[in-house]
Amino acid sequence: MSRTGGWVSVQGHYAGSVSRFLAFLIDVVVSAGLFALGLAAASLAAQVVTGHSVSWNRTNIVVAIILGAWEFFYFGYSWAASGRTFGMAVLGVRVVRADGGGLDPWRGVVRALVFPLSFLFFGLGFLGILVQREHRALHDLIAGTAVIYAWDARAARLRFLARDAETGATGIPQRPAGSEGRDGDEGTSPAPA
Amino acid sequence: MTDPVEPLAQRAAERALELVVSALDFNALVARVDLNAVLDHVNLNEALKSLDVNALLDRVDVNALLRRVDVNALLDRVELDPLLDRVDVDALVGRANVDSIMQRVDVGAVLDRVDVNDLVGRIDMDELVEQTDLGAVIARSSGGAASEALDAARSQAVGLDQFIDRWVGRLLRRKHPRPPAPAALLDGQAQS
Repeated sequence: MSRTGGWVSVQGHYAGSVSRFLAFLIDVVVSAGLFALGLAAASLAAQVVTGHSVSWNRTNIVVAIILGAWEFFYFGYSWAASGRTFGMAVLGVRVVRADGGGLDPWRGVVRALVFPLSFLFFGLGFLGILVQREHRALHDLIAGTAVIYAWDARAARLRFLARDAETGATGIPQRPAGSEGRDGDEGTSPAPA
Repeated sequence: MTDPVEPLAQRAAERALELVVSALDFNALVARVDLNAVLDHVNLNEALKSLDVNALLDRVDVNALLRRVDVNALLDRVELDPLLDRVDVDALVGRANVDSIMQRVDVGAVLDRVDVNDLVGRIDMDELVEQTDLGAVIARSSGGAASEALDAARSQAVGLDQFIDRWVGRLLRRKHPRPPAPAALLDGQAQS
């Protein structure tokens, strides 16, 4: 692992389980929230048009199919267009080709199509993120993809230093939350590069 | 038909001259000559006026002359410090047309010879940001509290990733370290 300015650089390295899980969690919340908003908007429109209140039940097969299609669109479009979903962008990770090259759009679509397979057998397909040498889950192996840290931790380091310099100039003592990655602290927070 | 006595007389005269010349001690003769007195009678200025100096110099092989000069020995005898003390560098620089010189410099060629990556790599960015207003500029241009929180969250997540990775590696008793990054990205890092 290379060091830049005292911070451990992980940019380009295979992303680990916690970053990927948190990214997925954010995506689930965001996509479900957007879906709920969409349903609410559709209900309101139906009520305005028909004059009757419409209630949606998630156990409804039509709603379930629309939800599945929406999730496929959310993940598939995000991966095909930019190689990352909203949650991945927040956590600073990105999907790339297995060899590290840029992700082809069709691979993003394939990854979204086979993504549900990793949930089978109690999520056995995700075990690869923990034990596989390249942290690749089942859907990564099928689609020929990998997930890496795309987070420019060196820029983060500069931002931290900049904030430090500015607070020093104004005389307001402030300790940024991201300062764990400074020299001499390589425990559980090796952090940004 | 010429008189046969004439060649005979000529040979006799030549022989007599040879005998006289061989009998003369020229060194003794020259030693008795008062050269200073002779030179007093010579008008050197008049003589030099009639001398074609250019024609004389044309016959001098300057290169051959310079080859015989031991320049190092000559320079050893020159005391440069007193010489340089006498040089008014300001006046010298003042006489130089810097604009003209710069116009003749091929800046592109100079920059081509500069390894910019190496140059940038030698900059201590941390020190630069801390010591200059650049830090304030970056701080104002970057998202402030939001990016600070994001940096912290990512930092914690990466830390936990590596913590779990270490434990999994121990549990699986991996003998060989796993590759940290895809091959293409590793190559890129190695080159940078």
